[in-house]
Amino acid sequence: MSEVRTDMPAEELLDEAEPRAESRAAIASPLRLMWWKFKRHRVALWSGYFLLFAYLVMATAGFWAPSTPNERSRQLYAPPQWVKIIGPEGELRRPFVYGYEMTRDLNTLRPVYTRDESQIYPIELFVRGAEYKLLGLIPWDVHLFGVSEGYIYLAGTDSFGRDMFTRLVYGARITLSVGLVSVMLSLVLGLIIGGVSGLYGGWVDSVTQRVIEAIIAIPTIPLWLGLAAAVPRDWPAVYQYFAILVVLSLISWTSTARVARGRFLALREQDFVTAARVYGAGTGRIIRKHLVPNIMSYVIVTITLAIPTIIIGETALSFLGVGLRAPTVSWGVLLQEAQKIQVIQFYPWLWIGPALCVIVIVLAFNFVGDGARDAADPFSK
Amino acid sequence: MSDAILKVRDLKKHFGGKKPLFGKAPRAVRAVDGIDFDLRRGETLGLVGESGCGKTTLGRCIVRAHDPTGGEVIYDDPDRGPVDLAALSRKELQPYRLEVQMIFQDPIGSLNPRMTLLEIIGEPMIVNGLATGAEVKKRVGDLLVRVGLRREHMNRYPHAFSGGQRQRIGIARALALNPKVIVCDEPVSALDVSVQAQILNLLQDLQRDGDLTFLFIAHDLGVVEYVCNRVAVMYVGRIVELAETDDLFARPLHPYSEALLSAVPVPDPEVEGHPHLLQGDVANAVNLPPGCHFHPRCVYCVARCRTEDPELREVNGRKVRCHRAEELDLEGVAQEEAVHG
Ligand SMILES: Nc1ncnc2c1ncn2[C@@H]1O[C@H](COP(=O)(O)OP(=O)(O)O)[C@@H](O)[C@H]1O
Ligand code: SF4
Ligand SMILES: [Mg+2]
Repeated sequence: MSEVRTDMPAEELLDEAEPRAESRAAIASPLRLMWWKFKRHRVALWSGYFLLFAYLVMATAGFWAPSTPNERSRQLYAPPQWVKIIGPEGELRRPFVYGYEMTRDLNTLRPVYTRDESQIYPIELFVRGAEYKLLGLIPWDVHLFGVSEGYIYLAGTDSFGRDMFTRLVYGARITLSVGLVSVMLSLVLGLIIGGVSGLYGGWVDSVTQRVIEAIIAIPTIPLWLGLAAAVPRDWPAVYQYFAILVVLSLISWTSTARVARGRFLALREQDFVTAARVYGAGTGRIIRKHLVPNIMSYVIVTITLAIPTIIIGETALSFLGVGLRAPTVSWGVLLQEAQKIQVIQFYPWLWIGPALCVIVIVLAFNFVGDGARDAADPFSK
Repeated sequence: MSDAILKVRDLKKHFGGKKPLFGKAPRAVRAVDGIDFDLRRGETLGLVGESGCGKTTLGRCIVRAHDPTGGEVIYDDPDRGPVDLAALSRKELQPYRLEVQMIFQDPIGSLNPRMTLLEIIGEPMIVNGLATGAEVKKRVGDLLVRVGLRREHMNRYPHAFSGGQRQRIGIARALALNPKVIVCDEPVSALDVSVQAQILNLLQDLQRDGDLTFLFIAHDLGVVEYVCNRVAVMYVGRIVELAETDDLFARPLHPYSEALLSAVPVPDPEVEGHPHLLQGDVANAVNLPPGCHFHPRCVYCVARCRTEDPELREVNGRKVRCHRAEELDLEGVAQEEAVHG
């Protein structure tokens, strides 16, 4: 039985035993095929790179921000400064910003800033400044850019004279991590619940499906509001952060669970799973080797598309005052300022900045999700 | 040659029919409803019938991908003696998994797209503890060569292969455990005609070289004629005729066999028409007609057929389930000489 046949008829080898195409696609793994397919979507690819960069910035916020988020200054409500390279006499200079001259509007007492062309603050790279902890661990004081004299407010300042650019960078830390962590939480919940539901079927499946339908039937924002409002207001910031994380993932796991269940149901009828049972593979092995690898791409797509919802959720809750609260800095917390009519009218940089950040990140996730959805099935043309 | 390696006795598989929480129990789908036959050591037994007759279900009950509702599947193990596979628990079954394997119909769905050929063909050996590490690699390489592929292919994924090649991979996986019996569930139905013959040749070569017994499921009698020693004709969950291939083709005893035969393409265009082509659809396995299950579609139906269910009985040394088997003179197909080898 173990003898090896090498005497296949020649025409058989010619006809059939050649791989379909000796192209690189023939040898590539499915993962690689997916990557190739994803790459074909330029927008998705660049959005992906952008998101990677955004998460890098998030992880090393202190380095990218010229200041620290709670550092106050005497320039209250200062508008954004523009980076210039043409000096007051029309000469070319290294990038710099002009200082401000502040006056008060005598009717409203609002500060009015005008450019003071006599004050020129050249922008320097890798300057030493306020100390921060890189990755939350390593104390360091080098910032990507900054000025050694004067001040730099690329996105303006708020009512305490705090640098908005710095606050946006630090806000990304909270908002983006909420998105990622709570999606991971819903991934785990969704995979386990969806998996059990799809694999065991029967009444377990029925009950799970009804529960999911009930959760989906409740409008998201009121449900989030209700749950978030139940988080005690006097909890420390860290607890609040995790409470909001959990509240947000309590809802988003449902879509992951549905996708996982549907895929499990379809897969467990596939012949390769039957084959594995027939040669005696155990349930654990079948789940690990045959089912999970074949659903992961679909789950990842669902998750990519769920992150923007979660980010918007965090923003909305914080904006409405039941999510995160100052002194925590998140984009939603920053947007709270936009509840004041004067801010909307006179200090638009206070809300345009965070709003733009949210929009750009949400769009990027959606583009990546669209590309990933196409790539999830690498064998279709 | 004629001793049975596998005896199937009154095998039944009904789907559904469990009483739900509320309301009446629905009626079960009687996909396999009392099947008896012997699979002789070294033979190829064909199992034919239209789509939906329960052929796949029967095959899956034999390899215990389904748990049968009733009946016995007695495997005659040369070392351990006869054992009823249908009655074993999953754990007790494990050693017999090596003996009975299956080849699937769908060349795409039967291979995990996320595994390399090495993993696909090697996994049966690994889970059954037949080989580890480098030994798995060597054996997989040997199997690939045996089914007409190349050793170098073992690191590729199934998507790199054509339908016929994928069937070869499936065959290699079935051979990985060195089984005695292989249930081939329409292994060539999904393939191009030009490739079908190559796969059939491969199966025949494998059978000749290694001491293999095949249960060969097909809906196409043309293929069956080419590879099978005997043929069992199945209609809604039951065998209606069981005969040597030559006898069946020369003179079928059951009207259903005749109808299936008249659908076999005739090489000679001079031969006129097929008067016995089947009308209507396969009977519903939930709501079977009374009497002979085939009677609504049978052109020879008489009053008795509508009320009395015929038994599978011995007629001229063949088995047939028809009241009128002796009196009817049914039409076979003129066999080409020298087809059988
Ligand atoms: N898992 C299942 N659940 C319910 N009914 C099934 C299942 N598998 C097959 N059936 C039913 O059993 C009958 C026989 O199917 P099958 O064995 O696939 O036939 P064949 O292979 O001859 O085409 C069909 O009516 C089919 O609908
Ligand atoms: S028993 Fe009657 S109905 Fe059934 S196959 Fe025979 S002749 Fe036809
Ligand atoms: Mg079938």
